[in-house]
Amino acid sequence: MNEAIPSEYLMFADSVCKRYPDGNVQALHEVSVGIRPGEFLAIMGPSGSGKSTLLNLLGALDRPDAGEVYFRGEPLSKCRNLDQFRARQIGFVFQSFFLLPTLTACENVQIPMFEGPRLTDVQRVRRAEELLELVGMSHRRHHRPMQLSIGERQRVALARALANDPPLLLADEPTGNLDSQTAADIMDLLVTLQRDREMAMVIVTHSPEIGERADRLVRLRDGRIEEDRLLRLDEPVLAGR
Amino acid sequence: MRFSAFMVKNVVRRRTRALLTSFGLAISVGAMVALLSVSDRFKAATLESFRGRGVDLVVIAAGTPDQLNSELDEALAERIRAIPGVQAVGAGLIELIEVQRGKNSSSVLVQGWPLDNPAFRALKILEGRTLQPGDVHKILLGRTQAENLGKKVGDTVIVQKVPFEVIGIYESFTVYENGGMVLLLHELQELSARQGSVTGFSVVCDNVANKEQLVQQVKAAIEALPNATKKRSGLSAMATQDYVDSMALLKVATAMAWIVSAVAMIIGVIGVLNTMIMSILERVREIGILRAVGWPRRRIISMVLGESVLLSFSGAVLGVFGAIVVVKVLVLLPQVNGFIDGKMSLIAIAQGIGITVLIGLIGGAYPAIRAAQLTPTEALRHE
Repeated sequence: MNEAIPSEYLMFADSVCKRYPDGNVQALHEVSVGIRPGEFLAIMGPSGSGKSTLLNLLGALDRPDAGEVYFRGEPLSKCRNLDQFRARQIGFVFQSFFLLPTLTACENVQIPMFEGPRLTDVQRVRRAEELLELVGMSHRRHHRPMQLSIGERQRVALARALANDPPLLLADEPTGNLDSQTAADIMDLLVTLQRDREMAMVIVTHSPEIGERADRLVRLRDGRIEEDRLLRLDEPVLAGR
Repeated sequence: MRFSAFMVKNVVRRRTRALLTSFGLAISVGAMVALLSVSDRFKAATLESFRGRGVDLVVIAAGTPDQLNSELDEALAERIRAIPGVQAVGAGLIELIEVQRGKNSSSVLVQGWPLDNPAFRALKILEGRTLQPGDVHKILLGRTQAENLGKKVGDTVIVQKVPFEVIGIYESFTVYENGGMVLLLHELQELSARQGSVTGFSVVCDNVANKEQLVQQVKAAIEALPNATKKRSGLSAMATQDYVDSMALLKVATAMAWIVSAVAMIIGVIGVLNTMIMSILERVREIGILRAVGWPRRRIISMVLGESVLLSFSGAVLGVFGAIVVVKVLVLLPQVNGFIDGKMSLIAIAQGIGITVLIGLIGGAYPAIRAAQLTPTEALRHE
């Protein structure tokens, strides 16, 4: 536990830097940002500002060149099993959904459960069906991604992100491929789930409407934080997880 | 959903490719299993032809690879019989001889036995009678050979251009005797211009408490036998298993089977490797997702190796089935059915399946390592 990291943060990126050697681009310059339990944080900024890079570092998909990412006060660089960390603590939602085409909706939702808490085959199916019910997709559980509409695919991807009941949901432009009505529906669903499950959520977005719905907004430009603004006065849920 | 079900879905997503790879492997495995099986069954039949008659030692000329190439003085039978512990000695001459089949001819395994050869007792006469003293140009046909030639008792068979009357049709417990013929030793010696010679002796020892020791003693005594000039006769007496293991013909057949197997294995590995590399390259993003949601490298490796083994195992099943069909068809051919019985060797099937699983593991290893080395971010960025 790092005493310097305020204990109220679920996750804290402390002065993280990231350079991509292929393009010799400094994607992030000593960025520090924390996420409290139950908080909805929106990260905005122009293309190339480092939003997705920051999200990758928070999700332990990538490692910072300098700085540290802490989860519940523990540095991720000391974490011996980052795969298990991702499986159990993080839910990912991507712009392109990334559902596996050969699997049905129900089977796609079960994929993260193989590395989550131990469940029997029957328990996995039951849990996947409950999650599909939660996102309004139980009637389409035996359909493959190609048989689903774009919005339905994102709902299934959302159910998959919740598979192991993570305390933190990371979403990279989750409505980027959706029409405005479907995008609004998906955002409603995301916010409802986040509130109901007292889950922290970080969304990378270009959409000002989504940014306005967040508890806090971080704006990046050229790999630096340009703005870190609290949008809701009511405190996020701190006690929960 | 089980992990195994996920692997099956990944394999069958490209049905045509999976089927073609399986068929390719099936041909390799089928050839391997069929050849190994035929070789194993022939070996087993040869062994059975001795053990079924209680033979303890096979005597041939030292330095010759098998009975077909051996030549011994017929009179040695008496000297072997005189060795303490020897219960019975069967002299025999074996030749591959041209037998007329319609307008053509084919090689048939013909055995010449003296009437006192105990092997006669093991033949079950199905039609006619066995050979008797005073028979001239009479022959016994094995059941399969009689069917192949379409001959029955009373018909004539042309052996080495000499007509023989079929006096009986027998059934033996070994496949190649059923596909062969038996005539009196002196008549076969005349046909093959080997008067006074035999190709080997089958020796049965007394049944005593310590038989293994007795067999060793008899073996030593036979190999030390002097001939007429008081020199060593140059005899080699081998236990039946040792004799069968040393048969050059079987060694060549087994070696051929393994050479084909090795080639099949190399082709199989390349086929599986190619298929699995293509499969992985097509699924880079999917692997990225699996890694992102927490699948560790070892599970990715298990998945790719599992798919690879599944693919090769399906090829093995198809191949074994194909081998069974091929051997059954071969048995229908007159040129072959006197030598193989159409049964499959379980050991050959197990070897075929085992080698194919190995092919799957070797062919899948490199793609599995490549897939596991992908980092989630680079895999997700992959176009």
